[in-house]
Amino acid sequence: MASLELDNVTKVYESKSEMIVAVEELNLDIQDGEFIVVVGPSGCGKSTTLRMIAGLETVTDGEIRIGGERINEAAPKDRDIAMVFQSYALYPHKSVRQNMAYGLQLSTELTDDEISARVETAAEMMGITDILEKKPGALSGGQQQRVATGRAIVREPEVYLFDEPLSNLDAKLRKHMRTELARIHQELETTTVYVTHDQEEAMTMADRIVILRSGELQQVGSPKEVYHKPENRFVADFIGSPSMNFVDVNLSEAGVLEAESLSFELKESVNEMLSPGQSKYILGVRPEDITIDEDASVNKSLTAIVDVVEIVGSDNFIYLDLAGEEFRVRVDSHIEPTAGDEVRLTFSDDSIHLFDVRTGEAIIHGVPQQPKMTSLD
Amino acid sequence: MLNDNRRDRALLYIGIILFGLFALVPYYWVIRTSLLTNIAAISLETGFIPSLADLTLVSYQQVWDRFSFILYFRNSFIVALGATVISVIFAVPGAYAFARLDFPGRQLLFYTAVFTIMFPWIVLTIPVYEVFYLFDLINTLTGVTIGLSIFVLPQNIWLLQGFFRQGIPQKIEEAALIDGHNELTAFLRIVLPLSLPAVAAAALFSFLVAWNNFLWVFVLTSDESSRTATVAIYYILGSDVLREWNILMASLMLLVLPPIILYGLSRRYVGTGLGAAS
Repeated sequence: MASLELDNVTKVYESKSEMIVAVEELNLDIQDGEFIVVVGPSGCGKSTTLRMIAGLETVTDGEIRIGGERINEAAPKDRDIAMVFQSYALYPHKSVRQNMAYGLQLSTELTDDEISARVETAAEMMGITDILEKKPGALSGGQQQRVATGRAIVREPEVYLFDEPLSNLDAKLRKHMRTELARIHQELETTTVYVTHDQEEAMTMADRIVILRSGELQQVGSPKEVYHKPENRFVADFIGSPSMNFVDVNLSEAGVLEAESLSFELKESVNEMLSPGQSKYILGVRPEDITIDEDASVNKSLTAIVDVVEIVGSDNFIYLDLAGEEFRVRVDSHIEPTAGDEVRLTFSDDSIHLFDVRTGEAIIHGVPQQPKMTSLD
Repeated sequence: MLNDNRRDRALLYIGIILFGLFALVPYYWVIRTSLLTNIAAISLETGFIPSLADLTLVSYQQVWDRFSFILYFRNSFIVALGATVISVIFAVPGAYAFARLDFPGRQLLFYTAVFTIMFPWIVLTIPVYEVFYLFDLINTLTGVTIGLSIFVLPQNIWLLQGFFRQGIPQKIEEAALIDGHNELTAFLRIVLPLSLPAVAAAALFSFLVAWNNFLWVFVLTSDESSRTATVAIYYILGSDVLREWNILMASLMLLVLPPIILYGLSRRYVGTGLGAAS
């Protein structure tokens, strides 16, 4: 178990015709025992970053340190890491037991008995003691995933690296494995870097989330932080499902946010936080913070036409047409408007986010009516 | 599906039978002729299916007596085996390098190596003879072996490169790197054992091609001592005033026997090897 530091890490792919910057000056300080999830859309550089930590890709610039020691030049086998791949990468010609023992046989001085003991312990932890003698070809996807994780666990490394390990599993199994991995992390307390494109996985499993976009760091923070205080529009859009609604608004002299079919009077305290001279903003509101209220004040609501109603079971997702743009709302399951209806929607001051029109940076994150949270992790 | 109703199925079978006849009749003819006497072979009275009384093994006897077939077979075997071993030894690491490594000139080198499969070899015979003459390799089994191993190398590289690229996931090698191998030992201890079917298939193909080769042996040898069975058969046909078809067919039968036996023995590997390589 050790700390992991990424110091200005950059990865550039150069070919005769072009230069691709996969990761740009990434700075990250991961504490011993932390579960970090690196998340972002395809091509954002998360897998590349993980592979650089593993030693499967060279680092173009910058330094990576485990436990304070620079590892840029170390071979993967010398870095004291273990990795779980998306495709599991099990050795097809070896049994499960041999797959799990192989790394220990190659890299350590442990006796056969000690190796066997470790394999048994890990197998018990992963619930695969009954398939130890089978070959990977005879196993289901979920079982192979457990074997791959078991193979990493027996190594007892300083850092675990997971490369989208649950992406090949069906939805139910994925949710089940998520809790399993979280439980294992609680037990082992080893520093973990987990890469995924699924923001739900990130939110449920992480101590801290790292959001990347096109090789650039967008935000690092706890799940609560990135949810309630996204630093820019991209993060606000990426985290949360259904994603946040964005409306281009104009701030009037009277302190009212105005757009087509929308009028929202800001509180005095909020108005003071905004710099004078700026009138155009992007308003962001999460679907779960919006309610349908026919009696809402005209100055604190918007109207939109219902387009599609999705019944999820516990909630309903309502997709509306707000002046030509999609607007998403999550409501309780007993609220079911008809398509084509015009409805009035409202939300509270403490659930609004304002973003800069030009840079997308967040300016304010709502104003609580009264202090709801005293501390954020 | 094609087989669903009886009419379609009947047509399919008829098609298969016709094609089968077209393909198999020549083989039957070879077998038939080899079991007849010389006169009976060319006589119109023997008929398409000869009567049992006409069948005889005299042609095989004659092949054995008159031609030093053991020598020719031995040469064929040495040369084919040697060419197979040499080309596989070079093709396996070469194909792996083409599949996994990125080096300047990789594309060019690969396509050059493989382009030679399509090359009209007969055009090269004279320059090759001159080069081999320079190295004193004419009329030697060594020379023929070297020549044939070069001849079968491109197809091995092609076959194995495809296999390494598609048949072995790169992530398995990466897992091996993390487990404690370096690139070389990962190749030797993990990739190669998984590649045995494909390598066996490549070896079998090489052996067949080298065994059946006529052109290079013919060009590079004139002495009987270094002649292989394919060229020997040519001389059997051409060297006698009276064409003895039955003897020719008998020697043909003997010629194809070792490859058939080899193929039968290795069928288990070849099926999976081809499947994995495709």
